[in-house]
Amino acid sequence: MLSVNRSRTIMCVVALLTLSGCGFSGGQGESGSAAPAADTSQRIVVDNFRAPVADWALESDAAYILSLSGCLETLTSYDHAKGEVVPMLAAKWTQSSSLQWDFTIREGVTFQDGTPLTAESVAAALNHVLDATVRARAFNRTMISGVTALDANTVRVSTPTESPLVPYRLASVNAGILAPAAYKGATLNPFGHCTGPFVPVSEVSQQSLTLKRNEDYWGGDVQLAGAEVRFITNGATRAAQVQTGEADISLSIPVASLSALDSAADVKVLKKDSARTATLYMNNGKAPLNDVDVRTAIRKALDLDALAASVYEGAAAPATGVFAPSEPWAGESKDAPKQDLDAARKLLKDSGYTADRPLEIIAIVERAEFADVAAVLQENLKAVGIPVTIQAKEYAAAEPDVLAGNYDMLLSQRNRLIDIADPLGFLTADYTCSGSYNLSHFCDAEYDRLVTEAGRTADADERYRRYAEAGNILTDKAASIWLVNEQATDAVRTNVLGYVQDPLSRYVLTAQTAKSGS
Amino acid sequence: MLPFIAKRTTTLVTAVVVSSFAVFLIPYFTPGDPVRKIIRSRVNGDVVDDASVQSLSLSLGLQDPLMLQYFRWLGRMASGDMGLSHVSRTAVAEQVLPALAVTLSLVVFSLGLAVLVSLPLGIAAGLRPGRATDKVITTVTQSFIAMPEYWVAPLLVLVFALKLSVLPSAGWAGPASMVLPAVTLALRPISYFTSAVRSGILEASAAEHVPAARARGLSQAQAVLRHVVPNGLVPLSTLFAVWFAGLLGGSVIVEVIFAVPGMGRLLFNAVINSDVPLAQGGVVVVVALAVTVTTLADFVHRLLSPTVEGSYA
Repeated sequence: MLSVNRSRTIMCVVALLTLSGCGFSGGQGESGSAAPAADTSQRIVVDNFRAPVADWALESDAAYILSLSGCLETLTSYDHAKGEVVPMLAAKWTQSSSLQWDFTIREGVTFQDGTPLTAESVAAALNHVLDATVRARAFNRTMISGVTALDANTVRVSTPTESPLVPYRLASVNAGILAPAAYKGATLNPFGHCTGPFVPVSEVSQQSLTLKRNEDYWGGDVQLAGAEVRFITNGATRAAQVQTGEADISLSIPVASLSALDSAADVKVLKKDSARTATLYMNNGKAPLNDVDVRTAIRKALDLDALAASVYEGAAAPATGVFAPSEPWAGESKDAPKQDLDAARKLLKDSGYTADRPLEIIAIVERAEFADVAAVLQENLKAVGIPVTIQAKEYAAAEPDVLAGNYDMLLSQRNRLIDIADPLGFLTADYTCSGSYNLSHFCDAEYDRLVTEAGRTADADERYRRYAEAGNILTDKAASIWLVNEQATDAVRTNVLGYVQDPLSRYVLTAQTAKSGS
Repeated sequence: MLPFIAKRTTTLVTAVVVSSFAVFLIPYFTPGDPVRKIIRSRVNGDVVDDASVQSLSLSLGLQDPLMLQYFRWLGRMASGDMGLSHVSRTAVAEQVLPALAVTLSLVVFSLGLAVLVSLPLGIAAGLRPGRATDKVITTVTQSFIAMPEYWVAPLLVLVFALKLSVLPSAGWAGPASMVLPAVTLALRPISYFTSAVRSGILEASAAEHVPAARARGLSQAQAVLRHVVPNGLVPLSTLFAVWFAGLLGGSVIVEVIFAVPGMGRLLFNAVINSDVPLAQGGVVVVVALAVTVTTLADFVHRLLSPTVEGSYA
């Protein structure tokens, strides 16, 4: 009798849970057919990994959300496939003098509030970002002197020093253009004030942004009726939502969820090289790591193939150097350095290193996998006679000591293209003698010369060649050890059409993004 | 009664001041520069330039002496102004109140579920001590204590969202989305509530007035319903209040996994990002509500068990 009652109780609970979910349409979507047609009445759900901050201020990461949502647009944009800057709200541009660039505003563009896009409104929007309390990374007074309207259709951007990268800077989401009505004192209201294919209509704080189609979009017909961008910070949750069909596109899928999604029906996993490399920073300014032989020995002791296969489960590739091989400035293709324990031991012996000087690796805790990475590195280094201790720290706690040079090694990661689609900022800040973020305390006159020259080189191919040469110096001097190139991984339902993956997640919803009927 | 209310009011004010001051100090006594943390919460990058640090520090008044900053906040609070969040730059009240509403719904639902489940289980176990029913109920419910939320939550998502497709995996849009987080949160209270009810029933069963009631002609069932069960529920009211207060700000893991925009996630992010005004505003609301709920629980306790009246003096 008792067991019968217990069974009934369990069945009741299950039935209750089931009934509670009856109204939820989380079922599987249609499997991809051979030639699915776009249904322009469809809406789409995108799970994004961050929520808006700073009350939508464009100098903050909120600009990324407005951009990926198809609201915010810039004068130029960066085409990853072509590897070049292409027109967007500016139809063309020219360098009118060594310190001035003139951008011709595209004709016939209106903001979503119906006002026309003019040179004056563009200049006002860009100057607003230049005056931000917290500087925008890609567009601030240190690299841009000012923006003025030359005439009704031309905007002049002035720089304090000659810079070929101005068009790149204007492709940054921080340099997005909103209608004059969006700027009221210190606050910013993007709702109805963008130029993009989607109009934001409502926001649920820290949860989602709802958008509808911009019927008057300058770039042609918009294929979706609307969209909802959800702010889901937990990666496993984003993966689950695209698997159940609750989301159509989930951005930045964590490694741990990849195997489940790879085998899921109606879901396609998209991967592209990201500009993010897990790096073992070494203190070039402090013994024994101020000796290039010791640093090189450490590099030769590491088994990057095993690291990528084990900890990253194949979702990252062993790094060949400071750049990912697919980047246009990576230079000649080369293989990832192979483990060579004998060579490592010889270098250590020649350098006079002895095991009575153990080394410490600081593993930042913001990246959960770094605990395992550090353990693998510890084992690799132990094999060549370098005793290593591991200390897990929050980055904020480690940063003062690292910048001051009071550390041995730091396991961290860095995005090379976080400001603009060009590595100049990264190469300057991280490895020049006076770099503002020179964690390695690396200093080499030839490297500095190459980077400075590259910064003045307008021709992209020539500039990229200098970047590659500078990268070779970093590799030869083992300034750091680049461990694995991480991949940008998105998951998309198969009934989503026209989705082009952007490794920097700036362009997600576009006029061409569509969904077939269900 | 008046001394009791005065005492509780004093407790409330003291708790608010102490907790808000403690939260205020966190960014200054944890590693890393608070202003850089604020900037990094707005701009997800590694390099933070010194000029931005200085100008933001100046605009937020963070270069002022600590006590001045704290009393400035206290003064604003006294006039009902919680200030602006450092990270979102929106009014703290506009973030705290919706988050509080979400958490209250979740907590009430999960603890209500816990009570519904644990009452019959605790009574059944308490009325048959040492027998199979008692052992099974005790073993099963005690095992819930050992099930951490970060394990239970993905398991429930796997079964009910991914395999059965009957419930949403995350989000906060309607009653269906409340089920999985509420069940996850309810498991441990079920364990404690069942144990408390069982102990209460055992204690009440052993009281002298139960055989006396039987002697007056009440059936066993009548004696249990009138004298054992009401007295056996007394410990539950206190335990309910304690869990209620705890879950108001302590359901971070569940809120993150299920993307629930509640108080736990809000407070956690505020502390991580050195968003002092948001953390202080959130803590003040949570502490005030917790003290109020525990005070109400004491009243209920008193109603159910007049013998404890003296403890409120």
